[in-house]
Amino acid sequence: MIATRVLAAARTFAPRSRSFVPRPGLPRAILGAIIGFALGIGLAAELKAEPGQLLALAYLFGLAGFLLGVGAFRFWLTWAVGREIDVAEEHAAHGRAGEWQRYFRFTTDHKVIGVQYLVTAFVLFFTAGTAAMFMRFELAQPGIATNKELYNTIMSTHGAMMITVALVSIIGGLGNYLVPIMIGARDMAFPKANALSYWMLPLAILLVAINPLLGGFDSGWTAYPPLSQQANLGQQAYLMAFVTVGVSSILSAINFLVTVFRMRAPGMSLMRMPIFVWALTVTAALALIATSVVAAAFTMLLFDRILGTAFFRASRGGDVILFQHLFWFYSHPAVYIMALPGLGAILEVVPVFARKPLFAYPLAVLSFISIGVMSFMVWAHHMFVSGMAEFFHIPIMLTTELISVPTGIVFLSALGTIWLGRIQFKVPMLWVFGFIWAFLIGGITGVFLADVPTDIALSDTAFVVAHFHYTIVGGTIFGLFAGTYYWFPKITGRMYNERLGRLHFWWFTLAFNATFIPMFWLGIEGMRRRVADYPAEFGTVNLFISIAAFNIALSVGVFAFNMIRSWKTGPLAESNPWQAQTLEWQIASPPPIQNFDEIPTVTATPYQYGSPRPAAADGSSAS
Amino acid sequence: MSPRRHLLTAGAVWVVLSVLGIVVVAGLQIIPVIASREAAIENSAFVLLTAVSVPVLMLVVVGLAYAALRFRAPGASVAGSADGMADGTIDGPPIHGHRGFQAAWLAISLLMVLGLFAYGAVGLVEIRGAQAADFEVQVEAEQWAWHYAYANGVRSTELHVPVDRRVHLVIKSDDVIHSFWVPAFGVKQDAVPGHPTQIYVTATHAGTFPGMCAELCGLGHTGMTTTVVVADQAAVDAWLSNQPKPSAKPSPKPSPEASGS
Amino acid sequence: MTTHVAIGAHDEDAAAAASNMLLAVKLAILSEVMLFGALFAAYFVIRGESPGWPPPGHLERPELVLPGLNTLLLVTSSVTMQLAVRAARAGNRSRILRWLGLTLLLGGIFIVIQAYEFSTNGFGLDAGTFGSTFYILTGFHGAHVLAGAILIAIVANRTRLGLFSAEHHTSLEGTSYYWHFVDVVWIFLFSSLYVL
Repeated sequence: MIATRVLAAARTFAPRSRSFVPRPGLPRAILGAIIGFALGIGLAAELKAEPGQLLALAYLFGLAGFLLGVGAFRFWLTWAVGREIDVAEEHAAHGRAGEWQRYFRFTTDHKVIGVQYLVTAFVLFFTAGTAAMFMRFELAQPGIATNKELYNTIMSTHGAMMITVALVSIIGGLGNYLVPIMIGARDMAFPKANALSYWMLPLAILLVAINPLLGGFDSGWTAYPPLSQQANLGQQAYLMAFVTVGVSSILSAINFLVTVFRMRAPGMSLMRMPIFVWALTVTAALALIATSVVAAAFTMLLFDRILGTAFFRASRGGDVILFQHLFWFYSHPAVYIMALPGLGAILEVVPVFARKPLFAYPLAVLSFISIGVMSFMVWAHHMFVSGMAEFFHIPIMLTTELISVPTGIVFLSALGTIWLGRIQFKVPMLWVFGFIWAFLIGGITGVFLADVPTDIALSDTAFVVAHFHYTIVGGTIFGLFAGTYYWFPKITGRMYNERLGRLHFWWFTLAFNATFIPMFWLGIEGMRRRVADYPAEFGTVNLFISIAAFNIALSVGVFAFNMIRSWKTGPLAESNPWQAQTLEWQIASPPPIQNFDEIPTVTATPYQYGSPRPAAADGSSAS
Repeated sequence: MSPRRHLLTAGAVWVVLSVLGIVVVAGLQIIPVIASREAAIENSAFVLLTAVSVPVLMLVVVGLAYAALRFRAPGASVAGSADGMADGTIDGPPIHGHRGFQAAWLAISLLMVLGLFAYGAVGLVEIRGAQAADFEVQVEAEQWAWHYAYANGVRSTELHVPVDRRVHLVIKSDDVIHSFWVPAFGVKQDAVPGHPTQIYVTATHAGTFPGMCAELCGLGHTGMTTTVVVADQAAVDAWLSNQPKPSAKPSPKPSPEASGS
Repeated sequence: MTTHVAIGAHDEDAAAAASNMLLAVKLAILSEVMLFGALFAAYFVIRGESPGWPPPGHLERPELVLPGLNTLLLVTSSVTMQLAVRAARAGNRSRILRWLGLTLLLGGIFIVIQAYEFSTNGFGLDAGTFGSTFYILTGFHGAHVLAGAILIAIVANRTRLGLFSAEHHTSLEGTSYYWHFVDVVWIFLFSSLYVL
């Protein structure tokens, strides 16, 4: 029965008559990947390559085959050989509204791509969460219940996947969908490149997911050599996948920046843009500038593994700590790439449900920019005990402490908006409150890690794990949930279930705090991170944490159920159920393919709440 | 209630909670076991940071709680309402910002941060201290055990150091990155292949303390622990002279039975 | 039907689309600058920590003749590329083709000389830190030159087919930015790897 339906669905990708090559789309992409994969292996066999080199060739050819198969290069190749592009076909690549197949094709409509990113990110989130459940199962009691090798691999995979979710979910998902609409454009600047950015991800994610089959990797997502040089082939899978995600995000960043700087509606000056758009703009700038550095570091590491180079081999003159500098030079800005979109989503939601203008909007914009700039000056706080040059510690301590000043402005803006407001506690607003608490804890505990004397005691302990979960879950994931609920009616045209949403929020928030607050204590008491076992005296607390963590997973199940059911059969939503003022709420839910019938003219920031009420917003002027 | 009253009420609650919190924190010892000069300095830093965090935490918590209680739109918490905002939703006042408040927030946070930095910098310099030492040990990390080489040629898997003396540890690794950590000493430093590192520490209490590897180093990372014994100089000297000396041509890695005490 | 297709901007206005594309090229180059920046940083750090350069036990350094010639070739090719851009602005198809062709030729010779130099160097990627840093930098650069050459060939072909105008020659202009960037990287490479 299911098989019949799947076959019928697959047949819609079937070839046109007289050709036996399927039309571009996911099925053909899989075919292309298999062919490329085989070609890569064949070539490797010809060259008598070692396993690592074989994996690299197989993956590169497989990725190329996948992208060719999905049709990513169709228009560019046509252009390259000087032929005319069929304009009708190019427009058709936007997909037809209501046709589900467009989500499985190389569709250039930013709204489709946004949904593709969002769904992919959530699936990855659930997978990585399952990995965490395995970890918490092992850590529920002292002793080794499962297997140390498997634990290290699952731990590393959990990190790698969650980092990816945090990097792409908001900017790739919500950002792609909403930014063009929020600035009054019909699409991103480069719709084809946008689709390419998305389609680079599935194979990379698959590669990370199967790394246990390749022997796993036990270095954590940080992949420090020399451990990562001697680790199994799964290590290489991770490195290659991460570089792929990096290239995808650079391409995406270029798209965002050109879109925001060049395609705003008349009247929308930079200081009239929604704060969410500003957050994503700074995020894109960070991604553009920083990502190549980690790509270089991972490439050097890969070369050390498969081409015999000596960048990080101490015995041959290489520098082990150099890797850490290069890695963190990207990875610290990366945490802002992860957090800023969440902060932006939160600040976008709070005025709507406090019914008050965003407090200190220009200062909030300035603080996002400052965070972005300063994020390049603090990386070595991840290396205080690494053995790096002594003179570095004090300047980095200063810059790290200083970055908390612009970060604090986010709280000023959120609290200032809430204060004296007329708060509606709809589900998105619940997530705002949860964020404020969680990100605050993350920020305060960050100061303990910024201060070198206390960092010496806390580095590499469970305290660090708790800190970054508070900042990333508190910032990114709470922001992602706030944004997903908030924009759900716009994207799907239906309303989610408020009761289930509240259940999800409370269950998740209580479980999340119960999981990670005790971890701060564990770190201070001396429990390390990245260990599968610990001294017996930590057993009770760890058991408590594990039980709380299982609850996180269950609450996310409620979320998934709510989303899926509401999308299929939820009550129809109006264009502006929240009476919000940004441009996306002035068009239908879901939006028509061209977004706007007429591009609006903008006259103020979208935060003109308060008496006297401005004239009701209509399509031709956002007040 | 006027905005001023709201501010004063919330402000009063904030002051009370902050003072209470600071009083509680000031009496705490945060690092569980303090057995060195360095750990004592770190504990002071912990207490200060925690005390400073209290008013910051309370500001946000009181703000949120007060707002949730006092600034709710009437009828807003009706369960089951699924259709967006109610008709006739009323807005709050059109306040876009407040120059004075923003400036004060910026100034205060900047000063706090600079103050914390100054304290931390001084603390770090104190912890590192002078380069001179009374007692030196080479710490060798390998997957997955710790070995110690003493000045008189003794090798052991236990670290013995004299109390109240400045000890110099030179930390090395030949395979992967490890990290030498003794929580009670408040010292932690990575062992990096190709790049010896060092720790200076002055133990202030005699006793036996656990040490462990604090940088993921492979399968055996979890079990890579060690023992640190602090005793007076005479006892340490006696222990050293009782250890079996390695032969004239010492093997690089003697078996544990031969070098343990 | 117009033969101009906006590769990129989904925008009615062709001039805006062109300007968007050129901004995109500049941003992409910024990202590439960071890539080479990281590689150069690694080189200088490793070299700075080495007891001598080349490190003890390594063969002599590559000679300067061929790389010096390569520098001349690339710098000249930037000049010819810019002349091609000027020809495009004047709308002169045959001149564009001439200068593009020369640029392509110079780039091609560069690649051949590089390949030759690599084969006669006497050390490979696996020759310790010297080989590692040398080949990753020149290798990445060479790959960029190759990509640039392909781009130039594509643009030349499209010129031959009459697909450009004095107002609209975005891909030529974008390619020129890229090519100049590749040239500048070479100058840094030449100075750091060969001369210093």
